[in-house]
Amino acid sequence: MSKKHVVLAGAVMLAASAVALAGPAGGTVSGKVTYEGTPAKMKPIDMSKEPSCQKMYTTPPTVETVVTGSGNSLQDVVVYISAGAPDDAAPSTAAVFTQKGCRYIPHILAFQVNQEIKIVNEDQTSHNIHPLPKVNREWNKSQPPGTPPISEKYDKAEFIPVKCNVHPWMHGNFAVLKNSHYAITGDGGAFSLGNLPPGKYTVTAWQESYGDQSQEVTISGSETKTVNFVFKAKPY
Amino acid sequence: MDVRGGSGVNRIAKRPVKTLFYVAAVLGIFLSTCSPANALPAFARKYGMPCSSCHEAWPKLSPFGQQFKDNGYQMGNDRDAPIFQQPAYWPVTFRITPIWHRESNDKTQVDGSNGVGGNEATVTTHGFDWSGLDFHTAGTLANNYSFYVLPSSDNTAAFHFESVWARIDNIGGSSWINVKLGKFELDNLLSEKRILTLTNVSGVYTNYHFQPVGEAYKFGIGDNQVGVEWMGHSKNDRTRISASLLSSSDGQPSVPNSRAYNGYFAASQAFEVGSLGLQRVGGFAYIGQAPTYFQFTNGGPTAGLPGTGIGNKGFQRYGLIGMWYVKKFDITTIFFHSHDSAYLGTNTPSGGPLNPTGALPTGAQAPTWNGGLFESHYNFNPQLILINRYELVRMSQQALSTNPGNLGNADVLTFGARYYPFISSRAGFAYHGEYAIIWQKGVSPVTATNQTTSSLLFGFDFAF
Amino acid sequence: MRRLQITKIVLILAIGIAVPFAGFGQQMESHIGNLTGHSEAGRQLYYRYCWGCHGARGNGDGENAPYLNILPRNFVIGAFKCRSTPTGTLPLDSDLFSTLKRGINFTNMPNWSALTDQQRADLVAFIKTFSPRWKTEKPGDAIQVPAEPALSVASIKHGSELFQKLECWKCHGQEGRGDGPSASTLTDSNDQPIRPYNFTSDNRSKCGKTNQDLYKIFMTGLDGTPMPSFADVIKPEDAWDLVHFLRTLQYNNKSPELALWLSTKEGAEIVNAKKVQNTYTGSGVKP
Repeated sequence: MSKKHVVLAGAVMLAASAVALAGPAGGTVSGKVTYEGTPAKMKPIDMSKEPSCQKMYTTPPTVETVVTGSGNSLQDVVVYISAGAPDDAAPSTAAVFTQKGCRYIPHILAFQVNQEIKIVNEDQTSHNIHPLPKVNREWNKSQPPGTPPISEKYDKAEFIPVKCNVHPWMHGNFAVLKNSHYAITGDGGAFSLGNLPPGKYTVTAWQESYGDQSQEVTISGSETKTVNFVFKAKPY
Repeated sequence: MDVRGGSGVNRIAKRPVKTLFYVAAVLGIFLSTCSPANALPAFARKYGMPCSSCHEAWPKLSPFGQQFKDNGYQMGNDRDAPIFQQPAYWPVTFRITPIWHRESNDKTQVDGSNGVGGNEATVTTHGFDWSGLDFHTAGTLANNYSFYVLPSSDNTAAFHFESVWARIDNIGGSSWINVKLGKFELDNLLSEKRILTLTNVSGVYTNYHFQPVGEAYKFGIGDNQVGVEWMGHSKNDRTRISASLLSSSDGQPSVPNSRAYNGYFAASQAFEVGSLGLQRVGGFAYIGQAPTYFQFTNGGPTAGLPGTGIGNKGFQRYGLIGMWYVKKFDITTIFFHSHDSAYLGTNTPSGGPLNPTGALPTGAQAPTWNGGLFESHYNFNPQLILINRYELVRMSQQALSTNPGNLGNADVLTFGARYYPFISSRAGFAYHGEYAIIWQKGVSPVTATNQTTSSLLFGFDFAF
Repeated sequence: MRRLQITKIVLILAIGIAVPFAGFGQQMESHIGNLTGHSEAGRQLYYRYCWGCHGARGNGDGENAPYLNILPRNFVIGAFKCRSTPTGTLPLDSDLFSTLKRGINFTNMPNWSALTDQQRADLVAFIKTFSPRWKTEKPGDAIQVPAEPALSVASIKHGSELFQKLECWKCHGQEGRGDGPSASTLTDSNDQPIRPYNFTSDNRSKCGKTNQDLYKIFMTGLDGTPMPSFADVIKPEDAWDLVHFLRTLQYNNKSPELALWLSTKEGAEIVNAKKVQNTYTGSGVKP
């Protein structure tokens, strides 16, 4: 069940980016993120200290620091244009980060600098949302059940781990990006960055455990270039 | 040299070896230079703070260090009990000072060229040397139980106990009630144990040990005394007050003298003056009495039974102190007024077999004198301090009316600099350079003329 | 030749003195009441008193940082525990000033009440030179603390309900001993284990001991620690009820709240049930 949820969320994210990117036609960078080697086995989460969440799962969900799919594909990888594209103004729609079943949905929330994010608690327990930025300002807010969403913004690009101190297994990420050309890989590890005007770009893939990789790509006209990323899996 | 404790050696020396040390001093073999001082990397290690937090220039305390000390070596943030330390932590600090020094005395008693004694000559000696070792152990036994034990040696490794005390701090949760028992330094704002100068001339404060020419009873307000002390202070240490009840033994063990008790009182108040810094003014009084003969003797009229001294006669030391800060410059000023009984001044028993009537010698009178101290520092930064001190002592009444009026008057001038090449929370190290000179009236050993003694010292002073 | 060498030595010495005092950031001022602090004066004080823990560059990596179990503040990040401003915002100068004066209990940060007001103001000004945030951001608007309503049993009881509802006990424990189910897992923003406040240990919390201090702690959160801000979820009048209840957890501290609570049958039962009696260990560490 949980897996499906994540996949679904990923799909929603992709759809959202696609909508955001609708506009003058341009080139596209697409590809697939895979791994080689043996990734660490994701351990099941013991939620026994929070029965209201535990009862939502028939089998315990696993941690999500490395999510793999068929054909050695890697999910939850943020692929974005790290250089070559101008900074974009933030879209007016808010990115939504939901706490449900004592997990973060999506596990990685990508959004733009100064874009509004809404943090929702759908659980019957209090969470505290404690993102741990290094360059942005750090805050930490409590969100008991039934309270309205927390609205926040970040004004600098950064990958920010998010945790809930009350439920130490809860772990997510904010990817604060400078432009609208980004995607998060879903099941299958595929991504597509569209609407790229002709130019030279640096495409970067970021995985929370494996770090990042970059490749240069030159787009002319409305071509589609394929860029694949292969991460070396860490067995621990 | 009638300035008691005119060298660090004298103060450390126990009575039986005192004479020996006098001889040594006269020969110009000035041995120890380091007065036991409290600079404890053990505390720095415990709290992870650099020396410069507690010391303006170690061993001299900063107001923060004074507060820490007054609070029973506690920060007061719930991390003071030893349970917060690694089990292996042992609160111990060693301090020692290898040096080169040059000592010069213009009226040393020597034999003449024909082998006839009773001449005076200028004697200058110099050479490499080292100080005694201080072995500081101090800290907390539990929250609000502090202690300090300091075995200290001279440079022959003959140890004595310089400090031995435990203190119950903040009784009833009040910073105004702290009780200390044992051998400790008097609550002197200008601490002699934290003196910044190390030479034989200026390793101690002349005013803290001065006694009139001819007086044998030894007392120094700079000497650690044995007794019990109540001390109170405001939380931020601006107001400090203390009172002590002390055995009349000048800190000697085993109650060698009498059953007499002395009292010491000190109070001070600090106030802030804008960007200049924290100023402090205070006063102190030592009301003492000392025996003039023994109730029991065993082995002749001069072989007194220890602890049975009677015929107590009084002596007093009073002072006013100001510590003035102008940013990086500061000056401490002290005015001293002292008064001893004529019996003490002339070493006259007030009774007993040697003087049953208690009569004083002809012309005996209570010696009285005044003193001044001006010690200034320029603290460039935590690593460098320049030191200047001028002390003077002026007799206003001699012990014998036949004495010249200025007999014993002293002027002491000291210049020093200490540079700390690194400041850490693990150890302390200082390059030390100092020159000190004392002029004293009419005290030369043969001709009773003016005597000048100077001391030059360079060395490494370190604690770890 | 020899002259040159001496010059060299002098130069090396001079650099040795100068480097720790070299400039970082620009001049700053602090304003606390009618006091104005200057970073230049604060610099000298910082390199006397503070760098051993907070580091020569203010990033909390002083030579003793590895030995401290709650790491010193990293002034470059600019996140501070004790503020009167909302979570994530810069503190007021007066917040830093009072932290210096008070120290932070349960950590190695002592109180600096022995310094003068001017010195503390100067230090605040200098600390602000480490983080670029002080140049680009303004401190947050201080959280408004309404006047404390009259103490009542109803207020304490309502506070007790809030303690449950807001799940304070998840970390602080049902009896406020800092032993809630999540307590053992807590880490601060330096990934160091950190313990929630044990209300029974002392009447001082990290950020002061008055009722106002308590109010501010949970409304602003302690940034850099697991303690979040409850400003968005507690109404001001409720907040005072919570303060009143929290005081009753400090059963070693004679407070009006505890006295009132003990005067009720229910309160006395609750307090007495959790008191640890007859522990004559004399350790001075209260259970």
